Amino acid sequence: MIDADQVPETLASRAARMFAAFQGGDETTMSDLVGLLTPILWHTVRAQRLDHQSAEDVIQSTWLALVRNSASIAQPQAVLQWLMVTARREAWRVTKREDRVDPTDFDADDLETTPDDAPEDLVLRQDNDIRLWQHIAQLPERCRALLRVIAFADRPDYAAVAESLGMPIGSIGPTRGRCLAKLRLQLGSDPGWES
Amino acid sequence: MSSPSPELDQLAAGAVDADDLRILARVAAVYTQLDPVPAGLVDRVSFGITLAALHGEIAELQRTNDLAGARAQEAPVGSQTVTFTSSDLTTMVTITPSGADRVRIDGWVDPGAGVQVELRLPEQTLQTGADSDGRFVFADVPRGFAQFVLRRPDPGGRQRAVITPSIEL
Repeated sequence: MIDADQVPETLASRAARMFAAFQGGDETTMSDLVGLLTPILWHTVRAQRLDHQSAEDVIQSTWLALVRNSASIAQPQAVLQWLMVTARREAWRVTKREDRVDPTDFDADDLETTPDDAPEDLVLRQDNDIRLWQHIAQLPERCRALLRVIAFADRPDYAAVAESLGMPIGSIGPTRGRCLAKLRLQLGSDPGWES
Repeated sequence: MSSPSPELDQLAAGAVDADDLRILARVAAVYTQLDPVPAGLVDRVSFGITLAALHGEIAELQRTNDLAGARAQEAPVGSQTVTFTSSDLTTMVTITPSGADRVRIDGWVDPGAGVQVELRLPEQTLQTGADSDGRFVFADVPRGFAQFVLRRPDPGGRQRAVITPSIEL
């Protein structure tokens, strides 16, 4: 193990530092925190197949809830998990509500808002990325949702992030877990993949 | 193809290594390209949370599905309807384009009598009151982020505020 004060900051620990400063009265740090964590929250709710507009609304209400409840969050280290769990619950709630209105809206099997477009037609810049996307698309939906979000986290935080997503212990971190292992196997058997 | 195999189990039990990190970095890059965080979302959130510390209840936002239902046919072309619900107020606003970069906001709040409606914009704050039917209008508003603060008279003389999430006009 590395010396404690040399451990590099992770997404969760950077977030904790900013949130602790906010709780301590430095309100300017909240916009830094919003900038830091909105990408992982975006992918958390989009992995639940929420449409664009609803995903934006869910993220906004998640942040409002954080500001509202900031005094009750005793451990700043938990702020990333708190936000992810809140966003996921809110997304689930909205999905149920919208489902009742128009279930066909959520039939598309793609993660994207433009299910008519084949991935190749989308904006992937490199052949290798298109290849990777094709392998990701072959994974079970749970694995896609897990890896999509984990990709925005740092290694020491994987297990906590997976837990926030409601994934079973051991899904990822510190070991690879089956989802990442599946992707590794697929890529390993693809002669065209350049790692 | 992905049925359980000793090879998979062994790989799954191994520690995350540098190759995994490289792959995950590419996974993040792929999703960033396919489904980027919408431009303006971070700004909208930052705008919306400024008032969150204000004493008051935060309303829940609900969007009306414009593609379904008879109501949509009555609504003007290009308009969007948003509903905010809180424990004792329901507010519905319809936003209609009224010119280049301008919109008209027709609102209805229930129960509406005596409710003061504040429309917070990045550069200014507009105010009006709901009529006895709960209707209110902001006839000419610049496009951009917006947030409502609704204040209803309280018998005790204190005003109780309801704050809405921010929306983009």
